[in-house]
Amino acid sequence: MKMITLQHARARRPCYMKMITLQHYLVLGAVLFVSGLLTILLKRNAIGILMGVELILNAANVNLVAFNYYAHGTAEGGVALSGQVFAIFVIVLAAAEAAVALAIFLNFYNNFSTIDVERAQNLKG
Amino acid sequence: MPLPAILLILATLFPLIGFIVLMFVGKRMGNPLSGYFGTLLIGLSFACSVWATISWLQGGSLPNGQVWGAGKQPINLPYQWIPVGNGIGQEHKGFLDIGVWVDSLTVSMFSMVTLVSTLVHVFSIGYMAEDKRFPRFFTYLGLFCFSMLGLVIGGTALQLFIFWELVGLCSYLLIGFWYEKKAASNAAIKAFVTNRVGDFGFLIGFGILFFNLGNVTLPDMWKILGTAGSGLPITLPNGQIFSAGLLTIMGIGLFFGAVGKSAQFPLHVWLPDAMEGPTPVSALIHAATMVAAGVYLVGRIFPVLTPDAKLFIAIIGCTTLTMAALIAIAQSDIKKVLAYSTVSQLGYMIMALGVGSWMGGLFHLITHAFFKALLFLGSGSVIHAAHHEQEMPQYGGLIRKIPVTGITFFIAVLAIAGTGFGEIGFSGFYSKDTIIAQAGAFASLATSHGGSKLYWLLFILPTAVAYITAFYMTRCWTLTFLGKPRNQQLYDHAHESPILWGPLVMLAILSIFGGVIGVQLMLRNSINETKNYLAQRGTTISGYETAWQSKLPGEFGSRVGGEATTEAAPEAAAEPEPGRPLTLHEAEHHGHRLVVQWVSWAFIVGIGLGIVMYLPGYSIARRLVAIPPLGWIHQWLYHRMYFDELYFSVFVGITLSLSALAAWFDRWIVDGLVNGAAWAVRQSAFAAGAHDKYVIDGAVNGMGDLAQDIGAAVRSPQTGRIRMYVTVLFVAVALGMAGALIAVMSR
Repeated sequence: MKMITLQHARARRPCYMKMITLQHYLVLGAVLFVSGLLTILLKRNAIGILMGVELILNAANVNLVAFNYYAHGTAEGGVALSGQVFAIFVIVLAAAEAAVALAIFLNFYNNFSTIDVERAQNLKG
Repeated sequence: MPLPAILLILATLFPLIGFIVLMFVGKRMGNPLSGYFGTLLIGLSFACSVWATISWLQGGSLPNGQVWGAGKQPINLPYQWIPVGNGIGQEHKGFLDIGVWVDSLTVSMFSMVTLVSTLVHVFSIGYMAEDKRFPRFFTYLGLFCFSMLGLVIGGTALQLFIFWELVGLCSYLLIGFWYEKKAASNAAIKAFVTNRVGDFGFLIGFGILFFNLGNVTLPDMWKILGTAGSGLPITLPNGQIFSAGLLTIMGIGLFFGAVGKSAQFPLHVWLPDAMEGPTPVSALIHAATMVAAGVYLVGRIFPVLTPDAKLFIAIIGCTTLTMAALIAIAQSDIKKVLAYSTVSQLGYMIMALGVGSWMGGLFHLITHAFFKALLFLGSGSVIHAAHHEQEMPQYGGLIRKIPVTGITFFIAVLAIAGTGFGEIGFSGFYSKDTIIAQAGAFASLATSHGGSKLYWLLFILPTAVAYITAFYMTRCWTLTFLGKPRNQQLYDHAHESPILWGPLVMLAILSIFGGVIGVQLMLRNSINETKNYLAQRGTTISGYETAWQSKLPGEFGSRVGGEATTEAAPEAAAEPEPGRPLTLHEAEHHGHRLVVQWVSWAFIVGIGLGIVMYLPGYSIARRLVAIPPLGWIHQWLYHRMYFDELYFSVFVGITLSLSALAAWFDRWIVDGLVNGAAWAVRQSAFAAGAHDKYVIDGAVNGMGDLAQDIGAAVRSPQTGRIRMYVTVLFVAVALGMAGALIAVMSR
């Protein structure tokens, strides 16, 4: 989906003023990031927090892909894909992280019969 | 080794064996057996001595051809002992020797000591039969005999000193034998302490001798210092000068040992108290042998005495004999009378040595041993018969109950009184007359050479005391054996113990014939032997008989000696015209004449007066004492001239006040220091405790508290609320980024 968008954007670039610029992506990334952050800050539910984390990661992904496009998009004779590769890694990492986190939450639930993170204070000094 | 030396060493060792055996198994041996055993050994000792005497008289020769024997050469066997000193003039340089010195004097002394010891042992078996510490008594006696014989055989001054102390110890042990009696244990301590004073002088003299000679064997001492009698300084073989003053001090120092042991004037106080010991001990130790050891010592050091030292000795002896004889008159305890009589006779011997009569002094030593041992054993027999009553006022008429004792006692009285007619008499007659004659000779010689008239006191006092001696001894005998019984009960129960007889009779025979059995001959031999020995080694000593001559005033001293040897006309000197200084020979002649004039009737006067005064008991004496001045004198003498009180108040008093002072010092100063130190330690301990509690612990606890506080402080942000962490993280990152942005923008 993103790939198509990028191809599309590059093809039409020189012709018009009102096109999607880097700032749009950055704003999107920022919105996503802040949404994720707020989710983390405001949610008590561990699953919710996990979701917030996913949002933040994806905000970073948006930024990575956008930066890659705008940094290398005009290069002749090849397409630089390091931003996209990074994003894929992050997705994989997020999946792995989700798996680990869910395992932790499961244990947490087993111990506390809840997944409210406010209850996880046993390690407080 | 020559036979007499072997025999005498054996004789010395037998009592030691007895002592050791009895010490370990004496108690098991029990009452009569241990006594028999001790007696057997001392008897063997006596047999050895007799055999040695016979062998000595026969003489013999060493493998190197040197002859020994009576009148020839002494036997000198020195052995290296302690490697100290830098001896001059003897074979064993750099060694303190011990050794054996056998001459006629040694042999005579051995015979006398072992004989008296044997008799006293026999007597003791009977006398001590009921004592519960019977074996111990013979143990001590054995040790004493060993010590005494060791003293006599010793060939060095060191040995003399060692055995000197040993006999002192035995004396202490035996005086305090009945230590349950307070008086006995006190007397033992008194004897020991008093002797210590004298021994201190001995040590000083010994130290001077050893320091200058480096060795102290008798022959070396005589050889090197034998000319001391001239009163001149002596040049030692190593070139140093031994001054006459130091020689005098040395002589007086050594003599002070004799003053203690022989109970001479300032230190005589222990001997009468020593009578608290068992009577056989008094006879053996405090009459016949040990107290005579002082005389023996002076006899051995005689050639090294300077004229000044000899004069000192003579004065001490003269004082002692007079004082003791006077005190003896007024005593009521039979043993006290005998004790003072002993002191007086010892004074005679010491004075004899002081006025130059070596022969007289040692002759009297041996004869006195016999009759004084007899007197003491006799008194022991009386006390035994009287069930341990010693006060003469309780006696009287006992001769009818204990005739053997009474007769032998009277023989001893005759002997001590010097009974004799012309040339024949009891033993004391010979020895005492020799002494007084020599004293007379000394006095007449000294005064005729311009000396003070006071020299005559050295003759007059002994002469007067010869009368007094006869008187007080007769008084003692009369009060005990003659007259009416004053205590009928005591008289009725008195009985003579058979075993006590033998020794008494034996000693009585010796008291009668002791003067004519050749003791004088042996003593003269002894002088000759010593002279021969030294002559062979190139020394002539200034003589035993005439050593005092140089004490004469003026420059006559050495000249008289020369005249005496050259002049060979005794008859011509019989009537010296007045005013001319006497020669030595004339003086001796004069002395003998004085004795014949003044002393020959002393015993008759004394004995007669004694019997007349005391035959009716105390009545005449009591009437005399009622006359005031006589009464006062009697009181004075009865209380022994208040010497004990004087010594008590002076020496004991000073000692006690010093000890009180020391106690005060100890209590307040020393204890104060100690307690103060303890207090200081305690205070500093408190300080250290406080330091530990507040500073050290404070620091440690403070560290803990600090860590805890920091922990608490640091812990507070760790709320465990994950959303807060995220907030903080975010705010921090945001702030950081904002800062970075501002920093970038402001560039």
